[in-house]
Amino acid sequence: MNRMKFRIRFGLDRFSGLYLWAVFIIMFTIWTPLFFTTSTLHSIASGQAVAGILTIGLLIPLVAGVFDLSVGATANVSAIAAIQLQTLHHVSIPLAIVLSVALGAVIGAVNGFLVVVLKINSFIATLAMGSVLAALLTIFTNNEQPAPPSSAAWTRLTELQVGGFQIVFVYFLVIAIIAWWALEHTPAGRYLHVIGSNNEAARLSGVRVGKWIWISLIASGTISAIAGVAFASLLGPSLTFGPSLLLPAFAAAFLGSTQLQPGRFNVWGSVIAIYVLATGIQGFQFVTGVQWLSDMFNGVALIVAVAFAVWRHRATANRRGPRNRSAPAAGDPDDPSSDASTAAESPSRAALSPSE
Amino acid sequence: MSEPSPALAAANVGKSFGGTAALDDFSMSIAAGEVRALVGGNGSGKSTFIKILSGYHKPEPGARIVIGGSPLNTGDPASSRRVGARFVHQELGLVDEETVLDNLAVANGYPTLGGTVRGKAARRAASATLARVGLDIDPRVKLGQLTAAEKTGVALARTLDGISTGQVKLLVLDEPTATLPAAEVRQVLQMVHTVADQGIGVLYVTHRLDEIFQLGATVTILRNGRHVADGSSQQMTRADLVNYLVGSEFEDARDEADHTERIGSKVAFEVSHLRSGQLDDVSFSVAGGEIVGISGVTGSGRESIAGTLFGRERPDAGEVRANGQVIRGGRPDESIRLGIAFLPADRKRESGLMDLSARENLTVSSLREFWRIPVLLRRRERAETQRWFERLGIRPASGWELPMTGLSGGNQQKVLVAKWLRLNPSVLLLDEPTQGVDVGAKAEIHHQILTAASSGAAVVVASTDIDELVAICHRILILRQGQVAAEVAGAQMTVAAVTKQTLTSDGSALQLMSEVKG
Repeated sequence: MNRMKFRIRFGLDRFSGLYLWAVFIIMFTIWTPLFFTTSTLHSIASGQAVAGILTIGLLIPLVAGVFDLSVGATANVSAIAAIQLQTLHHVSIPLAIVLSVALGAVIGAVNGFLVVVLKINSFIATLAMGSVLAALLTIFTNNEQPAPPSSAAWTRLTELQVGGFQIVFVYFLVIAIIAWWALEHTPAGRYLHVIGSNNEAARLSGVRVGKWIWISLIASGTISAIAGVAFASLLGPSLTFGPSLLLPAFAAAFLGSTQLQPGRFNVWGSVIAIYVLATGIQGFQFVTGVQWLSDMFNGVALIVAVAFAVWRHRATANRRGPRNRSAPAAGDPDDPSSDASTAAESPSRAALSPSE
Repeated sequence: MSEPSPALAAANVGKSFGGTAALDDFSMSIAAGEVRALVGGNGSGKSTFIKILSGYHKPEPGARIVIGGSPLNTGDPASSRRVGARFVHQELGLVDEETVLDNLAVANGYPTLGGTVRGKAARRAASATLARVGLDIDPRVKLGQLTAAEKTGVALARTLDGISTGQVKLLVLDEPTATLPAAEVRQVLQMVHTVADQGIGVLYVTHRLDEIFQLGATVTILRNGRHVADGSSQQMTRADLVNYLVGSEFEDARDEADHTERIGSKVAFEVSHLRSGQLDDVSFSVAGGEIVGISGVTGSGRESIAGTLFGRERPDAGEVRANGQVIRGGRPDESIRLGIAFLPADRKRESGLMDLSARENLTVSSLREFWRIPVLLRRRERAETQRWFERLGIRPASGWELPMTGLSGGNQQKVLVAKWLRLNPSVLLLDEPTQGVDVGAKAEIHHQILTAASSGAAVVVASTDIDELVAICHRILILRQGQVAAEVAGAQMTVAAVTKQTLTSDGSALQLMSEVKG
């Protein structure tokens, strides 16, 4: 009975984001005439492109089980660098872009050093790095928002219209496709998934765990910097936008891990999550006009996504537990150290082991 | 009002897992104040029985278990505690960085006054508790400073401590001395007697036969889930015990091993003066085509030797060579490139990628084979996985896209064995290769090991399953205290002989020397 129910829900939950998206679209179309227009479509699509690029950056180390909490700060630093290089140092646009994206890669490499060589927990290392970057930003700007570059080419870089969409949306799609290819169709991506699944087993299978984690952090730094440059071109210099994009990116990545391939961080699941959230926020904004929607939406989405992932993990473990336990027991019920999970679940042992 | 009720009276206790009886109509009783040793090999049902007593497993209907006069509500851990059963496991569950006092109080609480810990009262209580096992140590010292035997004493004392005092009827010790040096074992045995003298029945599970004689206890022997014999250590000889313990399994594998031709005698794998962790100066070599078994009790170095040979960490001293090339250690990828394969014992923590598919587990160590720029050839990966599924009879037959958690333990292990066999390793290091797998999978894995050896691989198998070692190995090395204490081969290589050598803890000059040194 239970099993049947779970299976049916399983089919639904993979695509629940798409269903929810459809519900949003139908609901808001009926609710307000403002909603179902091409201009809404264009503004949601491009409006989320920068956040989307940042989410992809975050996703890459996340696949390997490594957090990069500095993506927002990295984007912000690169954005300001791209602008100041042009306005203060009169560097050409292409060179300014190259240098500020390279800066992101360097930040990622430093993160990699902290995590891989100094073996600092990635959560702590990148949280601290975010703070260091915020300080650097203040040092280089005196905490005054710099003037935007005057050239039209700089804004055209992201605002150029392609089939009604701003070209930044195309950048996002291209980056998503490249990330999807790298994560799902190359050995590098497979290694990241393997590391994320079981670090030690990966190492003992010959995977260079440190090297790949390092690379994944360089990738996230680089992609974050691209997001930062895109933001600076699209919306001008800002000293605060980066950190405010961090939580939405996490919400989308975790929500995405419940979609399409549940239990696995994946690019298209995250892309769907970004747009489902954006559609909901945009729709409610039309209807209510209040300012707090996006914070509320993203926060709730992150909680729901993680709670769901935990619940799913437990449900899966319970469903398979008895089967797994009986099979080894049949052959070797008595082995003192046979089944790690059996030992861990043993109530008496758990009670005796406060250290575990 | 005269005789106290027996500490344990268990009758008709049975338990099956998936149709296989782990424990079959087992009965035993322990008087108040009696120390009873329970011995048996792997798979004999000892752990199952303990887990039934602790309420973790629920036995088949019809079982009747009475502890200290109160019936146990089987399958209910709370009931087990209520009727007065206490357990000390091999992992004591203590924290080295904390004081003895805090370790005791974690389980039983501190005496407090308005929420504040009353330090002096707590220390007095702790000292009183420690005295119950005959330990006279300052409860303020850090646990890490105690000897292993004293730590075991603290764990013992903790089960007797606190609000529950007076209620403890039955104390179950699950291989408490497995990792202790022989000199400290005596102290633990003394503490066990001190506890029993307070009218508590003790069920003492052990792998070490010597202890049974030192303990002067009565013995119950289990084999294949059945009660084989009861006796007192005064009436039994060591030979009697070994005979009772040993069964006859694995005849097929032995037969196959005997008929497998051994090709080549070139040394493929050489270990010289290796020191690392538990291992203390280990040297041996393995020829291509040879299967060498490693036997030893827990703590002897058996559980870490396969990983150390593989080079999972850099060794402290000594050298391991595969095909003449030195393995530096600390770089599994290099070891693999030199043709070494290592199957760890702990499937969930060190070996399997449990939430990834069987295919991804099978190909992880040789992904490059499937990489044709610009993509990984998934179809070729699938075909390869399918081939190995067929070869090892992995079920479900087309389950290669299932996550590992969707396969049974035996099939998971087969996938992981296949992962290494695919690489055609010249050295195959296996740690507990058939631990926790069903009989069918066990036979298949043995067959694969023999096949790998017959095609020229040097194979090392570390296992607690002596029947398994005797069945598939050409010779067996016995580890004690991190050193190769004995080697058994040829006609001498019987389960009885290996069991005796493995379980003997005071028979060898080598070991005495290492104790003097340590």
